[in-house]
Amino acid sequence: MVKKIAVSAILGVVLSASLVSAKEHAGKEYILKNGYQGPKTCETCHPGKAKEILGTVHWKHASKVDNVEGLKPGEEYGMKNRIYTMCNGNDIVNNLKEIPPNQLGQTKFSGCNTCHLGDHTSEVGSTGPQAEESIDCLICHSSKYDFSKRKPSKRADGTIIMGQDRSTEAAANLSRPTSKTCMVCHETAGGGVLVKRGFSVDPKNDVHVANKMVCIDCHQVKNHKFPTGYDPNNWAHDGERISCAGECHTSKPHKNADLNRHAEKIACQTCHIPKTGGASAKDFTKWEKQANGFWEPSTLRREVNETKPVYAWYNLTVANRPTFIGPNGSRVDGKSKIYPFKIFQGKAYFNKKTGELMSMDFAPPMANGDTLAGVASAAKILGIKDYEPVPGWQTIYFGSNHLVGPKKNALSCTSCHVPNGVLNFSELGYSSKEIQKLTSPELYFEETVKGQEEW
Amino acid sequence: MKKVFPVVLMLAVLAVSTVAFEKTASAEDVKMVGSITKIEMASDSASAKVTLKDSKTGENVVVTVADESTLDKFKDKRIVDGDEIRSKFDNQDGKNVAKIFKKTAGC
Repeated sequence: MVKKIAVSAILGVVLSASLVSAKEHAGKEYILKNGYQGPKTCETCHPGKAKEILGTVHWKHASKVDNVEGLKPGEEYGMKNRIYTMCNGNDIVNNLKEIPPNQLGQTKFSGCNTCHLGDHTSEVGSTGPQAEESIDCLICHSSKYDFSKRKPSKRADGTIIMGQDRSTEAAANLSRPTSKTCMVCHETAGGGVLVKRGFSVDPKNDVHVANKMVCIDCHQVKNHKFPTGYDPNNWAHDGERISCAGECHTSKPHKNADLNRHAEKIACQTCHIPKTGGASAKDFTKWEKQANGFWEPSTLRREVNETKPVYAWYNLTVANRPTFIGPNGSRVDGKSKIYPFKIFQGKAYFNKKTGELMSMDFAPPMANGDTLAGVASAAKILGIKDYEPVPGWQTIYFGSNHLVGPKKNALSCTSCHVPNGVLNFSELGYSSKEIQKLTSPELYFEETVKGQEEW
Repeated sequence: MKKVFPVVLMLAVLAVSTVAFEKTASAEDVKMVGSITKIEMASDSASAKVTLKDSKTGENVVVTVADESTLDKFKDKRIVDGDEIRSKFDNQDGKNVAKIFKKTAGC
């Protein structure tokens, strides 16, 4: 108690002095004097924050999911336990471990939960004092984090742990998280940079970034809960949702009334995110040997802005079947808008006996390409005894919510309202007669020709 | 004349194809996967020379990196010696200048 009063007094003095230099963290001097002992140092002034983060998706890698079909009520889902074909592993079956030696006798550490706030001494989603103590506050909050310390290693007792930078230098230099902070994990999901989502947070590809915005300017965090959208493949959430219409953009954001009318049935992303990227397909049944002697799933890679999206009606609920994860919706349900999606197709093993998709422990195939050994290991971990693995494909519609290009790159009348436009009106439920009208220049000719640049 | 003309024609075709080939060769992107053996930041921190050991040939290739995002990763050690990199570069004024420079690893 005395110590806390003293700290508060010191902080009070520091805070008044720091009014001149508003960017400096108020606790810097205390940390420089006393060093950093992990979350308990932060909790000196921010009590309860460690426990708070244990209840969030960043710690649990799962949550209750309220908009996806076919889930067990009361259960939580996320990268902790999901089985699908972008990753085909999860935190449970592909837990951080030392993989068996490859042909060259080399091993390495690998696992889905290398992207986790803990140090692996506590499991994903665990609670209690040990879990709180293992949180890496600085990976998000430090502006001088040494990422070379963030790598797995084996302790003398054989436990694999994830290193953290708990230096005084890292702790004494705190600032508002930047996009770089988020991209440490979110850029490399799915097996490498730009594989999963194909968006690059840089000014060239996104106008928000070009206007110096960072991730948390839109994903405005409160109590470590991050508002997220309704990506059909991003199930876990912190209970807070985000949309384009809000603080910056209203639901009628255009000067042109026709465009605002479009916005009633067409999502902002459809016109303003005309391209997508990232891997278009993966084959987990056939891994490729790399030059370094380890194996990786065969992946069809695409760069940022290299892929045309597919457009579909989406009412923000998700169809969830073994061979398809994607949007529910229709033209007539009164709730749907047309959204853009990146299509990804993954090949993995299905259980012939149940039709269900199986997951894979990556350790065996990473060492020697033996994918069935990976399936067997995952089945053993999950207690599945009765199975017969057969290869098959799953199609996934990923939301396309980033890479907002400049206005000049947005879709225009002639992007859609032409016979060979980007929207497949027939698949979207329009009749031949309607399509004839929708693809006629009669709709936009006069206005467009007036606005045309003169030569 | 009858004998000279085909020879002249052949020489002309050879000359044109050589020039065309040279143009194509110098504009072509090179793709490689290799591990970093050395990172040298420029004194103004506006670029870095990175030596990559080609995974296929074992040869060292020096690539100049100038994009801010990657340079930031060198500074805070998100990319360090030993990391495996996928890079695409082309030759500009005798230097290999990176267009793509990414770690191959991910979760």
